[in-house]
Amino acid sequence: MYDSKKLAEEREKWLAHSAGWQERKEEFKSDAGIPLKSLYTPLDVQDIDYLGEIGFPGMPPYARGVYPSMYRGRLWTIRMFSGFGTPEETNERWKMLYQEGETGFSAAVDSLTFAGVDPDDPVDWLEVEVGKEGVPLYSIRGVEVMVDGLPIDKMSVALVVEPLTSTAVTSMYFNVARKRGISMDNLRGTTQNDILTMTIGYVPWRSLKPDDLLKLACDLIEFCTARGEAPKWNPINFTTYNYREGGIDAVQEIALGMANAVAHIEEMLSRGWKVDDFVFRFAFHLAAHRNFFEEVAKYRAARKLWYRLMKERYKPEDPLSYQFRFHVQTAGSSLTAQQPMVNIIRTAYQALEASLGGCQSLHTNSFDEAVCLPGEESVRLAVRTQQLLQEETGIADVIDPLGGSYYVEALTEELEHRIWEYFEKIESEGGIVEALKSGWLYREMGKAFERRRRAVESGEEAVIGVNRYVVEEEPHPPFRTNPRAAEIEVERLTKLRAERDNQKVEKLKDELRRVCEKRENVMPVLMELTREGASTGEVTNIYREMWGLWDVPIMA
Amino acid sequence: MEQKKIRVLLFKPGIDGHWRGIVTIAGALTEAGMEVIFAGFKSVEVIVDSAIDEDVDVIGYSVHSGAQHAWTCKLKQVLEEKGVRDSFLIIVGGAIPLVDHETLKKEGADGVFSPGTNTADVVSFIRENLPKSPIIAD
Repeated sequence: MYDSKKLAEEREKWLAHSAGWQERKEEFKSDAGIPLKSLYTPLDVQDIDYLGEIGFPGMPPYARGVYPSMYRGRLWTIRMFSGFGTPEETNERWKMLYQEGETGFSAAVDSLTFAGVDPDDPVDWLEVEVGKEGVPLYSIRGVEVMVDGLPIDKMSVALVVEPLTSTAVTSMYFNVARKRGISMDNLRGTTQNDILTMTIGYVPWRSLKPDDLLKLACDLIEFCTARGEAPKWNPINFTTYNYREGGIDAVQEIALGMANAVAHIEEMLSRGWKVDDFVFRFAFHLAAHRNFFEEVAKYRAARKLWYRLMKERYKPEDPLSYQFRFHVQTAGSSLTAQQPMVNIIRTAYQALEASLGGCQSLHTNSFDEAVCLPGEESVRLAVRTQQLLQEETGIADVIDPLGGSYYVEALTEELEHRIWEYFEKIESEGGIVEALKSGWLYREMGKAFERRRRAVESGEEAVIGVNRYVVEEEPHPPFRTNPRAAEIEVERLTKLRAERDNQKVEKLKDELRRVCEKRENVMPVLMELTREGASTGEVTNIYREMWGLWDVPIMA
Repeated sequence: MEQKKIRVLLFKPGIDGHWRGIVTIAGALTEAGMEVIFAGFKSVEVIVDSAIDEDVDVIGYSVHSGAQHAWTCKLKQVLEEKGVRDSFLIIVGGAIPLVDHETLKKEGADGVFSPGTNTADVVSFIRENLPKSPIIAD
């Protein structure tokens, strides 16, 4: 215990004493611009009510974690985002990762799967991107091969597809699971299904309008969760990681995630559902970035803010709806092509942030990812980075070990204020969908690009190997994807189109057109349509045909 | 005498949507006094036609999909078909392995920029290497 009056006096004395000591910089700030003191003491946290604002893990306001036992009960899931070449090669990599100790799967798809275009689409030359950025999932056959021989009845699978194609690809996966005799009641996994990933994280090619993307995202939530067709499936994963990578800060990251979730809640409520019918399955996917303590505080603040948002605005009955569950990915944008081995160290610190922050699952980047997809050696090291944290360091033995740090608690509180403020700013722009349509979000991203460029080029933001400690070096040989991938995938699709019952497929495609016109839920007909062999591109082209395209206001 | 501004046409070939790099470059080149036209996603054929119509000096594109070789070869092929290869300075940036620079130069890129590039280097590269036989506008 301490006497706060006495402590304040002593602190004044210490400040006077330290004033004569020079500091390295005129001012110290966190990455999000929060001014930092040189030292935090009990005085900085004296207004924080422990029981009301920090509390216990698994209990409101969840600052210390969403589960009562956290990692003492179960360690976070080691989930490596992975996919390339063909479904066969991806399956081989997934098997290797499984053998190396990965505990969850995550499918990185290629740009065609992401955009909902088939490799035999008449648009010129798209085949050069087949299998380059991820696994091509153009039909149920590709999905089936990807998970062949893997224990998807026991291990969860994340499908990293966004609302343009999340409904089609998820329905393919559900059909594969059914075919393998796995009960939909027990099927575990996640569809990323994040409208912001495919609008501001990554600019979509021939995209639908934001309202239509939101509709599709909510169709999946409605089908899986509200209607209970896949009760253990997370139908959405608000992936703030992907916009954080553009250079926005931790405050903007979490605020965007909350505002995005609100847009989906409102859409679901307008469809007549209650919050308790679906919010308990909402999940998030956050970044682990460069500023160590700010990132740890960010995870703690995010949990508290989600609790506050639910409590103040939606008042669900189910305690699960108040729990902010999240996956973390270490920051790809922090990696350098120069001196790539340094990336191992960056990633290790970022993984430590995520685990000290109480993540539910984690992807660690491989050291070569600034320039290519990970090779075997580098991805194995990335898995080992997590295993080392879990099994050698002892950091998983005590819950929220940084809780109670004067600094971390003060930072958590300050972040909460700032995040809520930015969240309100987004709401004053009309919410996520309006802010997309007006171009406001694109301008916010553009400002972030610019700010980061200036910071790095001026040297204000240190990037080892780029703006300091530069050396002459032999470039690391990059991992290359299969050059024959396009040929293989076109052949797979041609064969499927020849073998399927095309009359039935055409009839179901007409049914999908009718459903789109009436704006009914697309999932029931997709479950039939993709089972019968319709491709990702065929489904997405029907959306385009029925709803029209969006002129993305990038430079507005 | 007022000097003509350097004109740059930037685009994303293919459908990969990683946009931070190309928009960052657009900002930096504008700041350096160049006139930048950002065309977004475009086919190589359309880009070459616009480059001719707009009388630009530089064509730049950004690739994060790993398809940098394919797009560079394709651009060179279309430029040669139209007989305008020497009319433009061609620059490519993105998630490009450092070992690819020489190959990409053989495939048709004049300047190749990998992650970690300072935009000032792109600016000076453009200024020092402007095309020798620009298209003369009518």
